[in-house]
Amino acid sequence: MAATAGDELPEAATRRLAGGAWSSGLSVADFASCLDMGMEPVGYVQGYAVLQWSWFMATGGFGTGLGAGLAGIGGGWSRPSQGHGQYVEQWQCPHGFVSAEHRMYGANYELTWLEQSWAMGWGLATSRMVEEAKQLGASGVVGVVDPMRPLVGGSTVEFRASGTAVVVPDAPRPATPFSTYLSGQRLAKLIEAGFAPVAVVATLSAVRMLGYCITHYQLAGSTAGSWYGAGAGGVSGVGPVDQVNRAEAAARRLARERVRAQLGTDILHGATLERSEREIGEGDLSIQCTLKGTRARRFKDFDPLPDATPVVRLA
Amino acid sequence: MTLRDEVCQAVTAVASPAHAAGDAAGVARGTTSDLTIDETLLLHSAGWEPVDLVFGISWWSIPWGVWQWTTGEVQEASAAFTGAVSHAAKQLRQSCEQSGGSGVLGVEVGVRVSSHHVSIELTGTAVRRAGADAHRFEFVSDLSARDFVLLTRAGWWPLGLAAGASFVIAPRRTAREWAAQQGQNVELPNLTQALYLARERAMERMQQSGAAMKAEGIVAVKLREGKASSSARVIQFVAIGTGVRLRTSTHRSVSPEMVVPLDEQVRAFDVRSLRSASAE
Repeated sequence: MAATAGDELPEAATRRLAGGAWSSGLSVADFASCLDMGMEPVGYVQGYAVLQWSWFMATGGFGTGLGAGLAGIGGGWSRPSQGHGQYVEQWQCPHGFVSAEHRMYGANYELTWLEQSWAMGWGLATSRMVEEAKQLGASGVVGVVDPMRPLVGGSTVEFRASGTAVVVPDAPRPATPFSTYLSGQRLAKLIEAGFAPVAVVATLSAVRMLGYCITHYQLAGSTAGSWYGAGAGGVSGVGPVDQVNRAEAAARRLARERVRAQLGTDILHGATLERSEREIGEGDLSIQCTLKGTRARRFKDFDPLPDATPVVRLA
Repeated sequence: MTLRDEVCQAVTAVASPAHAAGDAAGVARGTTSDLTIDETLLLHSAGWEPVDLVFGISWWSIPWGVWQWTTGEVQEASAAFTGAVSHAAKQLRQSCEQSGGSGVLGVEVGVRVSSHHVSIELTGTAVRRAGADAHRFEFVSDLSARDFVLLTRAGWWPLGLAAGASFVIAPRRTAREWAAQQGQNVELPNLTQALYLARERAMERMQQSGAAMKAEGIVAVKLREGKASSSARVIQFVAIGTGVRLRTSTHRSVSPEMVVPLDEQVRAFDVRSLRSASAE
């Protein structure tokens, strides 16, 4: 199903959108607010995409024993076969010995295949939602919700995007209807403040951290190697876990930069950042950050507001 | 101009080619913010504007064995917490300075404690004075925009996050104590003392970190208390607030107006608007 071809929406969707009573996902208060703003609801619009899904990809025993040596020297048979994206860092064991238990090399790298899969799922769902809005001749979609949930066992996920399509009768129709997570009074205030909603934007960044010996010791609470001293790779106990800290910072930075790349000179309003972590093995983490918000464009200068009056409610 | 006119103007701006995007305000690049529109408007009325979403995160390790074979405070865990907060706050400040902000508001503090590490996650929005050319770093605060505006109106200024923690393993009773206390409702002094001491130590450390940043006091202190591991005997106390200092000679009263709301929280609307919408 093409995301942009209106005639390829499900038959039931085409029939539903063609006639009958309009539907809306807005609360009564938000519905009333939209009418006050001159936005008329024309239909509840939705888009879905179900993807085969895995949070993990086989990587072999990166960093351990001989495999680590080969990976470090030759560019890595045990590394992921796909690209690392913008971020990759490597760490090398300072102790100078080889064993099956000792992680000679460590690496942080961007999981581009996961990021691309997420972007595809989210992009398909939202573009199908916007496609339905286009069919209705809508100016935009307000009150967007876009959850992702596991479906049918552990290997499929569903991306869902839905909202209420609205028409502004006195304004020209945008070629692509605008979309926003906001609705009701919050949307009214955004517009009164001089910002027009353009589109919902979201991204997922994912960083895999394969710990080298020091990180492995730290995450296991071990003080092994402490006889070397901190400068030579000893682990004294309490201290920063540098490799994880670098991975965490990179995941957030990537999410912010990727969203910013979608903004142009617009702003991201009401951003929400969600972070999750999956422990794949001991000293082996996958860190994900999802950043979402409404892209908004300034269409008039900020009207200076009077100083807010502090009040005490007596009710 | 009515709200309806503004909505038409907004949709027209979206419908027009994107090359005009954002140029009205002379914005050089997209900004990101997790503030609500209410907070953005309130900050703007106070002469501030959001710049960027900023982060600071730090994991610190805790050595194996510190949670076993002991009672009382786990010093290593408390030290790891202090180090992680300091490291994350430093990253947050660097991130704010790189984005051209003067301070960070609405910082959300995430604390996770496991057997072998403590992680501190700080996320907030960097802000700066609207229209100012140079921006010197001034503060980090977990206060909301509303609290920030109220605080500054009262003559106070936020300085930074003040935090302290204490992790304690509650001692067991001796067999003799256990036997003597059977069938009675009596105080358990060993538990009272351990918990009391841990709470006081967490607060003391928070106040020490406030004093280190030359704060006169700490506002909006949040106390978190709960199990630090799967064992009910391992308890954590975390105290976090914003260190503040008086910038004026005396405290200024904000003199709030008293209001009696006569309406419910449900928004009233004109029923005729429903009729006009369906008629079209």
